[in-house]
Amino acid sequence: MREKVIIRVIDTIGSNLCIASEDGQKVFDKTVPLLQTGKHVVISFDGVSMLISLFLNAAIGQLYGQFSEEEIREHLEVTGLAGDDMEILQRVVENAKRYYTNPEKYDKVWATLEGEDEE
Amino acid sequence: MQEKICDIRSDATGFNALAALSEKAKALLFEKVDLDFQDCTFFEANMAAPFYAVLTKYYEGMNVVTPTNIRSDIRTILQKNRFLCELGFCELHDSNQTTLPFKRFKLTSGEQFSDYLDQYMHDRGIPKMSDGLAKKFRQSLFEIFQNATQHSQSEQGIFVCGQFFPKQHRLDFTIADAGIGIRENVRRFWKNEKINSCQAITWALQGANTTRQNQPGGLGLKLIKDFLRLNRGKLLIVSRYGFYEFSASGESCRKLKHDFPGTCVNIELNTNDMNRYTLKSELTSSDIF
Repeated sequence: MREKVIIRVIDTIGSNLCIASEDGQKVFDKTVPLLQTGKHVVISFDGVSMLISLFLNAAIGQLYGQFSEEEIREHLEVTGLAGDDMEILQRVVENAKRYYTNPEKYDKVWATLEGEDEE
Repeated sequence: MQEKICDIRSDATGFNALAALSEKAKALLFEKVDLDFQDCTFFEANMAAPFYAVLTKYYEGMNVVTPTNIRSDIRTILQKNRFLCELGFCELHDSNQTTLPFKRFKLTSGEQFSDYLDQYMHDRGIPKMSDGLAKKFRQSLFEIFQNATQHSQSEQGIFVCGQFFPKQHRLDFTIADAGIGIRENVRRFWKNEKINSCQAITWALQGANTTRQNQPGGLGLKLIKDFLRLNRGKLLIVSRYGFYEFSASGESCRKLKHDFPGTCVNIELNTNDMNRYTLKSELTSSDIF
C-alpha cells in the first residue's frame, strides 16, 4: 500500500481559520508537487474552526486545473471535515469541474452587453 | 454648510438617501459640514456601516463632519453601537446587549473579524441559536467579509455593524466598503464599460461567476442564498446604482437614483429558525472527487 502524506492545514497556514484565498493557495502549493510525484495526499482539516468556499476554491478547486478527475480521485483524500463542510467541499468541487471543463469565459454576451446609462 | 438626514432604514429609500448624501461630498474640500438629524425619526442601527462608507467620501475632501440635532433615542442607540464614537461622542453601555458594534477593519483583518464575532456573538442578548445555525451565519459573514477584502479596493477598509431586533426575531448584520463596487470589477473583467450595476450584481450572483482570473470561485453568495432561503431570511446587496433584494419569496434588482460609494451587503437572519444545519453527512472524499 502506498505511503500517505498528510498535509495538516492548520500547520500549513498557521491558523485554524480557513477563510483567506491566500491561505488556500498555501495548501494548494504544498499539494501540487506531492500529487505530481504520485504520492497519496491526505489534507487534514483537524482543528479547523471555520471554513469557507473562498479558501476551498484556492486549496482544492484549483487542483482540477492541473490534474484529471481520475488522478485526484485516486490520490487525494480529505479528513477532519464536518458533514456540512463536506457538502461545501462538494459544491466547490462540482464548481471547479464545470469551470475547468469550459475555461473560456462562457456566456460571452456580457462582453458586448449594453446596460442603461450610469455615470 | 448643512446636510439634512432623513429616516435611514435598510431599504431602497434609506440607501438612496445615503447615496445622495455621498454625491454631495464630491465637490467639497476643507468644508465644515453639519449633518442635521432633525428630520430623522428612525435610524436602523446596522445602517451605521453604509453611513460610514458615505462619511469617508467627506473625509477624502478633508471636510469636518459634525452630527447635530439627533433625537435622544437615536443618539442612544448609535452611542451604544459605538458609531457616534467615530464622530466624537462617548460610548454608552449596551445593557440589553443587542448590538454588534460598529467597527472598521483593514482589508487584511480576517482574523480580527473572527475575534470580533467571537466577542459579540456569544453570551449577549443575541439570541441563542442552534450550533448549526450560528455556524452557517458566521460562514456567510466570512464569505461576504472576505469578498470585500478581495474585490473592493476600499482604501478606508471595511465597516461592519449588527443589530438584533428581539421582537421581530431578526438579526441584521451589515458589511460595507467604500470601494469600486461590483460594477467596476465586472466591467474590467469583461472589458465592457456599458455593463450597469444591476447587470453586474446579477452576473456576480450567477452560478460560478467570479472576476478572479484563472481560478474557480463565485460560490459564496450562492451558498448564502441557499442558506437564507431555508432560514427564511433576507439578503440585500447595494453596489453603486444597484439595489438587489433576495428572500424566500423572490429576488429583484432595481436602479437607485444616486450612486452609493461602494458595496454594502446586509444579511437578515431569522433567529426563530428551527431547521437543523449540522448534517450528519455520509459524504466521503471518494464521493466528492
